[in-house]
Amino acid sequence: MILRSLQQRIVAVFVGLLVLVMALIVTVVTSSNQRIVASEMTRELAVGTHVFKRLIEQNQRQLETAATVLSGDFAFREAIATQDKATVHSVIRNHGLRIGAQVMIVVNPDGQLIADTQQAAAPSRSFQFPDLLASAQSAGTSSGFRQMQDGFLYQIVLVPILAPKLIAWVAMGFQVDDKWALDLSDMTGLTVSVVRRHPSGGAALLASSLDQAKRAVLAEALLELSGDSNQILSIAEEHYQTLQVPLGQDVSVVLQRSLEQAQAPFRSLQRDLLMIVLAGIVLFILGSVMLARQIVRPVNALSAAAHRIEAGDYSQPVPSLPPDEIGQLALSFDHMRERIASREEKILRLAYEDTLTGLPNRTRFLELFGQLPAGSKGAVAVLDIDRFALINNALGHPVGDRLLVEIGLRLRQITTAPHFVARLWGDEFAFWLQGADKEAASVLARRVLATLRDPITLDDQRLDVGGSLGIALYPQDGSDATTLLRRAEFAMAAAKRRRNSFAFAADSGTEPAHEQLSLIGEMREAMARHEFVLHFQPKLDLASREITGAEALMRWLHPSRGMIPPVRFIPFAEQTGFILEITPWLLERVIEQAARWRREGLSLLVSANLSALDLLNPKLVGHINGLLEQHDLPASHLCLEITESALMLEPELALEHLIELSALGVKLSIDDYGSGQASLAYLKTLPVDELKIDQAFVTSVTDSPKNSAIVRSTILLSHELGLTVTAEGAETPDDLSWLTNKGCDVAQGYGIARPMPADKLPDWIAAFSARDSVKST
Amino acid sequence: MTRASIAWFAAFLFVCASAGAGSLEATVSMPDGKPLEDAAVVIEPVSGVVPKPHRTAAVEQRNREFVPYVTIVQTGTMVEFPNRDPLKHHVYSFSPTKLFEIKLYAGKPMQPVLFDKPGEVAVGCNIHDWMEAYILVVNSPYFAKTSRNGKALIRDVPAGHYRLRLWHPRQKVETPLRDIEVGAAPVRLAMQTAVTPRVSKPKPPVESDKY
Repeated sequence: MILRSLQQRIVAVFVGLLVLVMALIVTVVTSSNQRIVASEMTRELAVGTHVFKRLIEQNQRQLETAATVLSGDFAFREAIATQDKATVHSVIRNHGLRIGAQVMIVVNPDGQLIADTQQAAAPSRSFQFPDLLASAQSAGTSSGFRQMQDGFLYQIVLVPILAPKLIAWVAMGFQVDDKWALDLSDMTGLTVSVVRRHPSGGAALLASSLDQAKRAVLAEALLELSGDSNQILSIAEEHYQTLQVPLGQDVSVVLQRSLEQAQAPFRSLQRDLLMIVLAGIVLFILGSVMLARQIVRPVNALSAAAHRIEAGDYSQPVPSLPPDEIGQLALSFDHMRERIASREEKILRLAYEDTLTGLPNRTRFLELFGQLPAGSKGAVAVLDIDRFALINNALGHPVGDRLLVEIGLRLRQITTAPHFVARLWGDEFAFWLQGADKEAASVLARRVLATLRDPITLDDQRLDVGGSLGIALYPQDGSDATTLLRRAEFAMAAAKRRRNSFAFAADSGTEPAHEQLSLIGEMREAMARHEFVLHFQPKLDLASREITGAEALMRWLHPSRGMIPPVRFIPFAEQTGFILEITPWLLERVIEQAARWRREGLSLLVSANLSALDLLNPKLVGHINGLLEQHDLPASHLCLEITESALMLEPELALEHLIELSALGVKLSIDDYGSGQASLAYLKTLPVDELKIDQAFVTSVTDSPKNSAIVRSTILLSHELGLTVTAEGAETPDDLSWLTNKGCDVAQGYGIARPMPADKLPDWIAAFSARDSVKST
Repeated sequence: MTRASIAWFAAFLFVCASAGAGSLEATVSMPDGKPLEDAAVVIEPVSGVVPKPHRTAAVEQRNREFVPYVTIVQTGTMVEFPNRDPLKHHVYSFSPTKLFEIKLYAGKPMQPVLFDKPGEVAVGCNIHDWMEAYILVVNSPYFAKTSRNGKALIRDVPAGHYRLRLWHPRQKVETPLRDIEVGAAPVRLAMQTAVTPRVSKPKPPVESDKY
C-alpha cells in the first residue's frame, strides 16, 4: 500500500515505530519473565528442598534428643531392666504417649524384640529393621523412615537404654501422615508428598499436602517420573516443577512447586504491560494524527495558495501561519507571490503596451477585440502617416519618435471609450470604433485627419503631417481582428495610392488571405494537373481596323473555384519564385500557338508577359531562341511585355537581356505604363518597340479630362520617340473612337473582345473581320 | 599356631617349672599390642576350699567419677560407696547379679552393699550419666587388676591347679577359661583380649552451673 498523503505517512511512521518498540519491550519482558519464572522455580525448589532436608534432619535430631531423654528416665530404665514383660509393655505405652510416638519397640542388645506396642503378646523374633540397629550400634543412635506392617510410614528413632551399660534399644516410631506433609509444606513453601515405589513398578502415595482430587492424579503422574531430576509434571491442569528426595529404601518425598502460582505475579505484570502498550498505541495514534494534521494543514493551505497562483490569481495573500519553518516558508511564498504579481504586471505592460507612445500595441489591440461582447458591431480603422519615412530619414529617428509620441497623444484625445486606439507598428495606428457604421466611421476618419492636419512643432520646426485611413466594418468585412486589420490596411494602401485620405475595405476589395495562401500551395499541383490554360485577347490595329495581335493571358481553371484571373495568383507566383516555372511553360505554349496560327495563315503578333524574375534569368534569351527555332517562328512574330517595375529591380542586367532579345528580333513592350515612376526619358534608352498605357488611365479617358490629357500627351510623346502605343482597357466604342482620333496605334480591351481560348480566336477574327467590313461598308 | 597360642604355651612351661606358694604375673594387651588397663585377672582353684573373704571394698565417687573404674571382689564382700564429692550421688545397678539403689546421699551411705552372687555388676549414678563403674564378683580371693602398663600381679597363691579367667568390662568377646598350674616359681603370663574403646560420655565441667 502506498501512503500518498503526508499525514498518513507521519502517522504510519510514528505508530509503526512505537509498535515495533513496544513489541520489542513486550517480547523482552515476556521472555525475561519466563526466564525469571524458570530460574525462580528452580531456585525456590532448590531452597525448599534444602529447607526440607534441614527440617527432616532437625526433626530427626529433636526426636533423637527427646528419645534419649526419655530413655534416660530412671524409672523407664528400671522397668526395662526388670525384664518384666507386662511392666515393660506398659511403660513403653506410657512413655510413647509422653513423647508422642505412635509406636514403641524395645529390643535387647542382641536385636531380639522385648516388647512392641503394636503387638500385645511378646513376639520372639528379631527387630524388623536390622539396618537401623546396625547403624545405632555404631553411632549410638539411628533414625530413618520405614513402613511398618500396618502400612503406614513412620519416622523411627532408635536410642540405647544405658544402665549405665547398654541394656536395651528402644525404637520410637512417629507416623508420617498428611499433617506431617502439610507442616513441612507450610515451612518449605512446596507441595510435599511421600511416595513409596514398589520394586515391581507401582507407586503408592503415603502422605501428601495435596488435596484429595490431585492425589490420585499425582500417583499416576509419578509413574512417569524418573530419577530425582527436576521435571515438570502436570496435575489437573496445573504444572508442577517436581523434585524427588529419597527418604530411605524405596520411599521418597516428592517436592513440587506450582508453575502457575509462580507465574501469577508475572501474568498480572504482563497484563498491565499489555494494557499500557495498547493505551500507548492508541494515545500515539491520536497524538500523531493531531501532529500530522498540524503539520499538514499549513502545507495544504500553502498548496491551495500555490494552486491559486498557478491559476494566475495573485490577489489573495498566502495565509499567515504560526512562525515555524512552514510559517517562514509561507512568508517567503507570499513575497514570491507579490514579486511574481508585480513582474507579471510589468511583463503584461511590456507585452501589451507600446513603450514609445504608451498606447496599446497590436497584441493588446487583438486581445481587446477578442474581449468584445458577442454581437458587437463597429469598425476597424488603420491610419498610416504620410511621408513619415521621409521625415524619419531627413530629421532622424529621435524626431520621428517624438512625432509619433505627439501623434499618439492627439489620437488618444479624440478616441474615447468605448472606442480605443493602438499603435500597430512604425507609423501605423489602428482604431476600434464601437458600434460605428460607415457614416460614423467616416466622421471619425475626418476627425482623425483634421487632428493630423494641425501642424506639429518639434524643436521650433514645423512639421506638416497627413495620413491615410483604411476602414473595415465589422462584421461585414471580416469576422476576426486579423482579417479586419488586413483589409483595413489594404484599404488604407488603396486610399494612399489614390490620395483619397480614407477608403473602405468593401470598396477596395481583396481576397481573404487564407485563400491566397492556399492558392500558392495549389499552384504547383495545378501545373502538373494542367489546370493552367492560355487565353488570348485580340489587339486591334486602330488604323487598319484589323486584328494584328493577341496577348496571351494565363487562366487557372481551378476544379472548385472555377476560373481564377492572373491578378489573383501571378503576384504570388512572382513572390515565391514559382513564376520561373510558369514562364517557360507559357513561352512554349505561346510560341507553339503562334507558329500554328502562322502555318494556318493567321499572321498575328503574339504577346507574352515577362516578370522581373524572368527578366533576370540568364537562361531566358537562350530558351526563347531555342523555342523560336524549334517551332520555326520568326522572332518578329513574338512580343514580350515587361512592366516598368520589373525593369527597376536590376536595371543593368535587365537592359542587357533586353538588348539581346531585341537583337534576336523579338518585339519588346512596356506594360502598364503610367503606374510606375519610369520616365519616358528613361524608356527612350531601352530597346523597346511599344508602350502600353495602363488601363487606369484609359478606362475613364472619355470622362476624366485629366486622364485624357495624360493619354493624349503619352501618345504624342511615344510617337515622338518612335514607339507604337497600345491602349489597354478600351471598354466602349467611345473609347475606341477617342483613341483612334487621338492617333493611338493599337487598342485592347473588353470593348473589342474578352480573352478567349486559342481555338476560338481564328473564328472570332473571321467573324470580326466580317462584321467590321459590314460596318465599314 | 597363632601368636596367642604360642604365648599360652610359653606360660605353661614357665608355670610347670615352679612349685609351692607362688605368684602370677599377667601382662594383658590389646591386639594392637598396647597394654590394657582395668582388665581383671582371676584364678579360681579347681579343687580345695576357698578361703572366706576377709576384705571389704569401696567404690568412691570423686570428682563425679567412680574410682576405681573396675573393682574385683570375692563373693560375699561388702562394698562401700563413699561419696567424696561435695554433692550428692544416686548410685544404682540394674545388673541381675546385684540390683541395688542408694538414693541421693552424701558422705558414706548407711549400709554397704553386699555382693553375694558371682557375676558382673554395672554401677551408675542416676544423676550423672557419664559415671560408670564395674564390679566383678568372683568365687576366689586370687585376682588382680591390670595397671596402666597392663600388668597384674597375684601374690601368695598356693601351688595348685587353677582356672584362669580374663575379664574386662568392655571386652568384645568373653575370654575362655584356662587351667593353669601355680608352683613355687612365679607364673608369668601374657594375654590378649579385644575391647571396645571407652566411650567418654559428655561430662559438663563443675564450674558450669548448667548441671
